[in-house]
Order: sequence, then structure tokens, then C-alpha cells
Amino acid sequence: MTTDTDSGAADAAYARYDATTSRWGRLTMLAALLLSWLGPLYLVLFTDLVVSWGQLLTAFAAVAAVFGVIWVVEVVTYYPVLGPAATYQAFMIGNIANKLLPSAIVAQSAIGAKPGTRRAELAAVMAICGAAIVHIASLLVFVGLLGTFLVSLMPDSVTQVARLYIFPAIIGAVVVQLGAYVRSTKILVIALVVAAVVQLLLVPVLGKMFGNFATAVVVIATVAAAWMLRDRNRRYGDEAVGSGDLES
Amino acid sequence: MRDVASYANSPFLWACALGVFAVIVLQSLIYMRAAADAGPDLDFSREDLRRSLRAGGVAAIGPSLAVVIVAIALLTLLGTPAVLVRIGLVGSAATETSSATLVATTMGAQLGGPTWTPEVFTAAFFAMGASGGMWMVSALVLTPILKRGDAHLRHANPALMAIVPSAALLGAFASLGVAELPKSNVHVVTVVASAAVMAVCLWLARRLDAAWLREWGLGIAILLALGLAYVAHHHTGLGPA
Repeated sequence: MTTDTDSGAADAAYARYDATTSRWGRLTMLAALLLSWLGPLYLVLFTDLVVSWGQLLTAFAAVAAVFGVIWVVEVVTYYPVLGPAATYQAFMIGNIANKLLPSAIVAQSAIGAKPGTRRAELAAVMAICGAAIVHIASLLVFVGLLGTFLVSLMPDSVTQVARLYIFPAIIGAVVVQLGAYVRSTKILVIALVVAAVVQLLLVPVLGKMFGNFATAVVVIATVAAAWMLRDRNRRYGDEAVGSGDLES
Repeated sequence: MRDVASYANSPFLWACALGVFAVIVLQSLIYMRAAADAGPDLDFSREDLRRSLRAGGVAAIGPSLAVVIVAIALLTLLGTPAVLVRIGLVGSAATETSSATLVATTMGAQLGGPTWTPEVFTAAFFAMGASGGMWMVSALVLTPILKRGDAHLRHANPALMAIVPSAALLGAFASLGVAELPKSNVHVVTVVASAAVMAVCLWLARRLDAAWLREWGLGIAILLALGLAYVAHHHTGLGPA
């Protein structure tokens, strides 16, 4: 938006803004990254717990084999929508599709900024700042203080069930949610069939080593099958921004 | 000091978690100053800045509270610091609990049961941090490249970019969901209940044009599925011994 301002001053101001947010965006993200690694390393190195590096490496490999592609693809997918400054915010704060993007759009319309302009970019980044502050505050108060207190009041019979069944309680809903978001019954069916064959038929027969990487096998087979069976006449484009609210 | 909770809630982990929070607040403050400084020359007034901040914050209240419900449900498994950083911020409930499940499997353990030892928790927390961190590493590495307008990355085949992430995530979560089924009949009940509640929430969201149901779907599904699991575990003979 340089129509009614001096365009030289505007370019200089934007360059300043871009330099500051890029430099500090990277530095703060790096700091958060190191801090998030410090906690697990403390448990491994400075407590009486004995966990071997072999076990840790296997653990990481099992997770990386499943999510490795997503690490890269999500950043590339969201970048055109977010821009550089907001990318450094978004991949630290999380909840991009279900919170940050809606917040940015609401703010842009609140000040009447046209998408694609510098004014819209600033509005989006400020909206994400507002969303970050609300999110941090609600996590601290409702999870950090209230939640921890609430859990301490719960009888053992409840916390035991929460511990044992939290994952099945999450995963059923996540599959349905993602299936609805992707809007491809074909991919959903492929994923479920491949998962059933691998987890229920192959894992019991092929043993522990296969079991460790069974989900990675399902991921690769599902991607390959979905790609080979894709609708070659369909035009893929703007509708596929991100992969639901499962991003980091 | 042999239970998971005493390690998972250790003061050092709390300090790291609060440190991440502080870094995000600091980043927001720096960004606000940069926008306030450059704004006047970019047709972005102080009033625009204030209204954008407020609009973004207000829009985030609903989704944030929806995340809070999910996070609280995970406190007994992972402890408060890990939940705050891994579920509340960098990661999501789906990816992080999936990581924990994958790790537990490699160590012959199951989430939450007698095999969920402090050692298994530590390996899971380590892998969550390492994997969750890779999203940040990839943002740090790729952003400068994308900024230069690398044509190769920007014009990746749209069909490939649409199908690969969808299929990869659906494959991962479908696999982990199916893997829960042989564990016990209560696991079957819980997975099916969770899926059914989410399906109803999404259907109602569309029928009633209620977007909030889409955000709250996961929280509602978790609470109802856990409620059913409680009944099945304690009041029927379906649970594991």
C-alpha cells in the first residue's frame, strides 16, 4: 500500500521491519528450540534414570520415520500464507490452521486491509501477537495453575483411566477430523485398509522390529497408493492449505 | 522418586517450559515494536495496530480454551511442563501423543499402564522434543530459502503437495488408531466412541452452521470417550487385568 504515501519512505520502513522481524524471529525461535530440548536432556543426563542413547535413537527414528515428511511439507505449505515474520511465530506457537490463520483473517477484515498488501501483512502479524498472548495466558492460568490443581483433586480411579485411555480417546476423533478435512474418502479408505493389514495381520507375524516401524510402513504405503490412485483429472490448488490443525 | 509424575513435574522442566513462554512473549513484543515503528510509513496506524492485536486476541479465545480442555486431559500422563510446551505450544495433541505411543512401542511399553515407567516417559519426551523441534528447524532452514523466492520450492507440483501430507498424516493416525484395537475391549470402545462423537460434532457443525463445534470437537470427543472408558473399565469386565 504505497499509493498515498511516499513510496521511498515506505520501502525503507518495510525493509527495516523485515530486517528486525527476520533477525529477532530467528533468534527467538532458536532460543525456544534450545529450551525445548533442554528439558528432555536434563532427564537423560542429570537424573538417576537410565536410558541408553540406543533407546533414544530408536525412539527418535520411529517418530522421524512417521513425521519426517510433514516437518518439511508444512513449512513450505504455510509460507505463502504466513510470510517470513509470521512463519517464525507460527511454528513456535502452533495451532496454525485452527487459530492463527482465522485470527489473522479477522484482523485484516477489522481494519479493512486487502490481502497481499503490506498493511495486511502487518495486521496478520499483529493478530498473531494478540493470539499468542491470549494463548499463553490461558495455558498458564487454566492448564498450569487450575488444571494441575484440578488433577490433584481427582480420585485415582479417574486419573488411572485418563492415563490408560487418553490416546485411544484422542486418536479416534483425530482420524475422523482429518478425514473430514482432507475431503477425500478415497485416501481415508486407503489409509484404514493399509493400517488394518499392517497392524492386525503383519505385526503379529513379523515381530518386534517390524512393529517398531509399522506405522512408518503404513505412511509410505498410504502415500504411494494415494498417489497412484489419484484422480488425474482433478485440479489441485488453493483448497489444500496445510493439513488441518495437526501442525506443529 | 519412582513414579513418572515426580520426574515429569520436576522444577527444572517447569523452568524450561516457562522459558519457552517468556521467549514467545518477547518475540511478540519485538514484533509489535517493529510494526509500531514501520507502521506510519506503511499506511498502518497505531489505531490499526491496536485493532489488529485485539481482533487477533479475541478470535483466539475460543480455540485457546478448546486446546486447554485437551491439555488438561493429558496432564496425568505427561505432567504439566511437557503438556504446556508440547501440547499447548509447539506440537499438537495428535502428533505428540502419537510420538509418545510410537516410542512406548519401541520399548515394549504402553502409555499410562504399569509399563509406563519414568524411563519410557523420558524417551518419549526426548523424541517429542527432537521431532517437534524439527518443525522449528525446518522453519529456520527453509524460510530464508523461500524468502529468496526459490522457484523450485514455490512451484512444487500442487497435486503432490495436496496428496502427500494428507495421505501421510491419515496413514500415520489410521495406523496408530488401528494399533489401539488389539490392546483391550475398553480400547476398542474408547476409539469407536471418540470417532463417533467427533463425527457427530462435525455433522452438527455443518447442519447448525456452528464453527465452534469444529474447534471443540476434539475436547468433547476426549471427555465423552474417557467417560465411557471409565464406565467400561471399572464397571464391566472389559478392561485389562
